Amino acid sequence: MSSVIDEVPRPSEKSGFGSFESSTPRSLIGGLSAAAAWSMVAALTAFWPDKLESDWAYTGSFAIACGVLAVALALAAFAGVRFVAFRRLQRLSPWLFALALFFVAWEAVTAKLGLLPLPFFPPPQAILEVAIDDWGRLAEGIFASARLLATGYFIGATVGFVTGVAIGWSRLAGYWIHPVLRFIGPLPATAWLPLAFFVFPSSFSASIFLIALATGFPVTVLTWSGVACVKSAYYDIARTLGATQRFLVFKVAIPAALPHVFVGLFMGLGNSFAVLVVAEMLGVKAGLGWYLQWAQGWAAYANMYAALLLMALLCSGLITLLFRLRDRLLSWQKGLVRW
Amino acid sequence: MVAAIASDHAVRGSTLTLREVSHRFNFEGQPLPVLDRINLQVGRGEFVALLGPSGCGKSTLLRLVAGLDTPTAGSLLTEGRKIEAPDPSRVVVFQDPTLYPWRTVWSNVALGLEARGLLRTHRGRIEDALRLVGLTGFANAYPHQLSGGMAQRAALARALVNDPKLLILDEPLGQLDSLTRITMQAELVSLWQRSSFTALLVTHDVEEALLLAGRVVVLSDRPARIKAEVVNSQPYPRHRGDPHFVELRREVFEHLGLDEAW
Repeated sequence: MSSVIDEVPRPSEKSGFGSFESSTPRSLIGGLSAAAAWSMVAALTAFWPDKLESDWAYTGSFAIACGVLAVALALAAFAGVRFVAFRRLQRLSPWLFALALFFVAWEAVTAKLGLLPLPFFPPPQAILEVAIDDWGRLAEGIFASARLLATGYFIGATVGFVTGVAIGWSRLAGYWIHPVLRFIGPLPATAWLPLAFFVFPSSFSASIFLIALATGFPVTVLTWSGVACVKSAYYDIARTLGATQRFLVFKVAIPAALPHVFVGLFMGLGNSFAVLVVAEMLGVKAGLGWYLQWAQGWAAYANMYAALLLMALLCSGLITLLFRLRDRLLSWQKGLVRW
Repeated sequence: MVAAIASDHAVRGSTLTLREVSHRFNFEGQPLPVLDRINLQVGRGEFVALLGPSGCGKSTLLRLVAGLDTPTAGSLLTEGRKIEAPDPSRVVVFQDPTLYPWRTVWSNVALGLEARGLLRTHRGRIEDALRLVGLTGFANAYPHQLSGGMAQRAALARALVNDPKLLILDEPLGQLDSLTRITMQAELVSLWQRSSFTALLVTHDVEEALLLAGRVVVLSDRPARIKAEVVNSQPYPRHRGDPHFVELRREVFEHLGLDEAW
């Protein structure tokens, strides 16, 4: 039976997306198509006149930026024939091509044809304008958000980790902390918002508390379950080899629980983003969340999109960072999910 | 290299005495007796095998000897002192190698030294132990990269590095394929001969018990009682086809009540 199955021809490994990386002429074609698509964005922006009575100051600059990108992509495509390092870039070609099409459509329905209502749907050059004219305030926003998030997250993750280990390890700690955790933990951190803003001396410290709370709950629960799940044989081994309680906690329980802890840290990070934005919108007078709210107040939707874009970059960057840390610490695990 | 491991202890192994040891578990509210008045005397450097059907309570007995559990009745003594807690002089090698997956082979073997704060002074022993079990080239490998036999060798090295006076072997070769098993049986004997510890082996494999041990203690079904003792004074290495060996094997099967089936 099995030999019959083995003889059935298999689809070639070469087919599918793998081929974008492998064969040189194909990668060249891919890279050049992406470059062509971006030069189309540039040409369209530059030579198709904007809709009458609109005054987009940065239409020319946007066209130039797209043109520069197109030239860069073309050069990279040719360099890819020679240098392997550039060939890796070619994997992105399909995406760059699709993105160019998206920009063509966006440019067409906003600045050129005016099909979408203003001010809600500004053209890409309006966002470029925000980036150039208002970068100072945006940078301040990123800095403020990052500081608030980092402080709150760090406190929450630390307290959550320590609490989780305590509950998982000590029966006494479990007895006293577990009911509190069960009762208060599931409550969304944002529900504390009105209370936090008058209990704490500043909206900054109140927000730190809320972010720490949102982070702490999943970290606690998953650390606890990680410690509780450690195989009892691991402890038996260590005990017969003369391990102290301290050794059992720090060298057996905690390393064994780390995969769970990272799931908790990941969930906590997601929660902390949500709380950060709400806290900034409702109380803190700084940060990207505040900028979003402020831009909306002025009906400056281009600013809002710019801030959203930056926020997405910040969040995604932080998640990537967390995964890098995990990959480094848990390199001993088989079959890690790559982010 | 053997000398490096054994040098600190000139004494050959430790003695072990079991006096009227009984043990019960609570199973769904019902008391479940597993051991019934076990009496056993193991001399210095002796190799004793406990043989019995699976689930008869052999492993429970080993946990008591290791000090991981305390018996419901009776007492266990080593060197005349009561066993009340685990001690690095009595090391267990379990059926499952239970290496820590987050540690390399080297730091798994280092575990006992590290736990007792001896890592700095006795570092060299880890290399010795790895060489003893033939894992020198795998010091930096992670457990998931090892085969079953290699993992069990690493577990053995982790035990030997502590220079145990009593090595407790809980079916250590039970999960290995039959070829690796035969090799490892020979290796266990030569390790025991060179390192001079007392060895207590639990197994349900009659041949294995007779190949390795000087004395085979046959246990009954649960609750385990000692049914018989078979002494094998043949020199090592022993051969499975030797007429005397075959005769002893038949005798042990008879004690287990399996002579007709076999």
